[in-house]
Amino acid sequence: MRKRGIDTAIVIAGACAIVTSLSATGQAPAGALPRTAEGNPDLQGYWYGGPVNASHSIEEGCCDPIHARMQSRGPDRLGLPEQLIIDPPDGRIPYQQWALDRRTEYLYDMETPTELGHIDPEDRCLLLGVPRSNYRGDLQIRQNGDHVVILYEWAHAYRIIPMDGRPHVGEDIVLFNGDARGRWEADTLVVETTNFNDVPWLDSHGSFYSESLRVVERWRPVDANTLRYEATLEDPTVFTQPWTMAFTTTRIPDESYEFFEEGCWEGVTNKHRLAAGRMAVEAGEQHLHTHEEPAR
Amino acid sequence: MFTRFVPAVSPAISPCLAAVCACLMVLFPAAAWPQDSSGQTYVPPRTPDGQPDLQGIWQAVNTAAWDIQDHSAGAGVPAGQGVVVGNEIPYQEWALAQKQENYENRLTADPEAQCNMPGVPRITYMPYPFQILQFSDRVLILYEYLHVVRTIYMDGSPHPEGHIDFWMGDSRGHWEDDTLVVDVIHFNDRTWFDRAGNFHSEALHVVERYTPIGPDHLRYEATIEDPNVFTRPWTMSMPLYRRQEANVQLLEYECYAYSEEELAADK
Repeated sequence: MRKRGIDTAIVIAGACAIVTSLSATGQAPAGALPRTAEGNPDLQGYWYGGPVNASHSIEEGCCDPIHARMQSRGPDRLGLPEQLIIDPPDGRIPYQQWALDRRTEYLYDMETPTELGHIDPEDRCLLLGVPRSNYRGDLQIRQNGDHVVILYEWAHAYRIIPMDGRPHVGEDIVLFNGDARGRWEADTLVVETTNFNDVPWLDSHGSFYSESLRVVERWRPVDANTLRYEATLEDPTVFTQPWTMAFTTTRIPDESYEFFEEGCWEGVTNKHRLAAGRMAVEAGEQHLHTHEEPAR
Repeated sequence: MFTRFVPAVSPAISPCLAAVCACLMVLFPAAAWPQDSSGQTYVPPRTPDGQPDLQGIWQAVNTAAWDIQDHSAGAGVPAGQGVVVGNEIPYQEWALAQKQENYENRLTADPEAQCNMPGVPRITYMPYPFQILQFSDRVLILYEYLHVVRTIYMDGSPHPEGHIDFWMGDSRGHWEDDTLVVDVIHFNDRTWFDRAGNFHSEALHVVERYTPIGPDHLRYEATIEDPNVFTRPWTMSMPLYRRQEANVQLLEYECYAYSEEELAADK
């Protein structure tokens, strides 16, 4: 992103909104929210993506001990800032047993990939899907009559969310980012997304889903500069119950930021990684990826 | 906006004409003015904040994706009349030889075969739809092909300092009458204009003009300037068509995902 200078008006407006909300009950009164011409909350602008490390594991954050040491990660950059999965209360994805077994297989293949399917789709520059797109880097929301558009800096991805009540595309069409439909429930933007393919993962830990996935996202402005995000995932093929992740994010204060082109796919190859993985497997070095210190 | 009228009148009366025009524009903001080179008059609807409304899902219907110049049919290639005005691309001598070499090797050398972002203006006439969305300070063009995004800043901001190697360049736009004019620089030299090997350097400078010529048609013009490759600027011109299906929406074409095994194979 590029900085072009501070937009004073927006900063002042934001500061006023914060002061107003603090002086009341901690919840912003409805009047404090900027609104579009249609009267909906104006969420437009740049927002920080979801919590750090969530894209590595939505259950555990980051990382394995070797990477933590290599990257000199202090305690503040380990794990998750707070539990991401709020339902079920244990913070774990409620996998069916077969699915948990398959995810464990991914964790065995993760550090020694021998085929493309062992490599995190994110590393392959594939679209990240929903909800992962929302916790892998900064995002931009634009509203325009019948559309909400979310732009992501990562891999120049975007989502177009029609707000006109049209039905979903036919069930034979599957998409990396799914087929989104939005509506307002009071001041909350509710986005229901279906028609997913089963390629993206929810994180680098191989947390996967099937084409049966249905995601309902709720973007609720807490005040002018704070959004509460919740995503409920339903997939009767893979999970035992619907489950929900949630985080709070804030506006990037400088509205004059611009996203730069983040090409991602520009000559990427995974052949060396696969070759190394095959050599490691042959040498008997395949092991479970874990964040625990190995027993000595 | 008066420049197009001035040459037709004497210098003495042109200020008066300009003043009259200005008055007319105030009294009749949607007054009809000639809009495009074909002499048609069309007044597009306005967005709530008064911009000409070019929004919707558009697509080119021509064979420029294969070859922007006149060409005969070949295996898998429909014959087509070119989109280059005058049909001639003014290559420098070395560059013409390079173009011919590109043509010979086009099946493997074309950056499209590597699923790279296709640059400007090539993205416009690939056989995939794109959607224009307008906002107070920017225009977004979202392309189905490779989820390419272009943000065209309309706030008068300058291009960032460079040179920067972008696949899709850096776009800054303004309105000239009802025409969206987009100035694009900061390209890399890794994209072609078509599958026939027409190419450019990183000095490429594109000026695009999107002119509404009817409720369902835009006139798209792209002027190409690149002093490293061409002897003079040249222009492509084509209509863009509004997709008419009631339920049309952008889907996905994730090029490299469909040939990932080959593109990332351990050869």
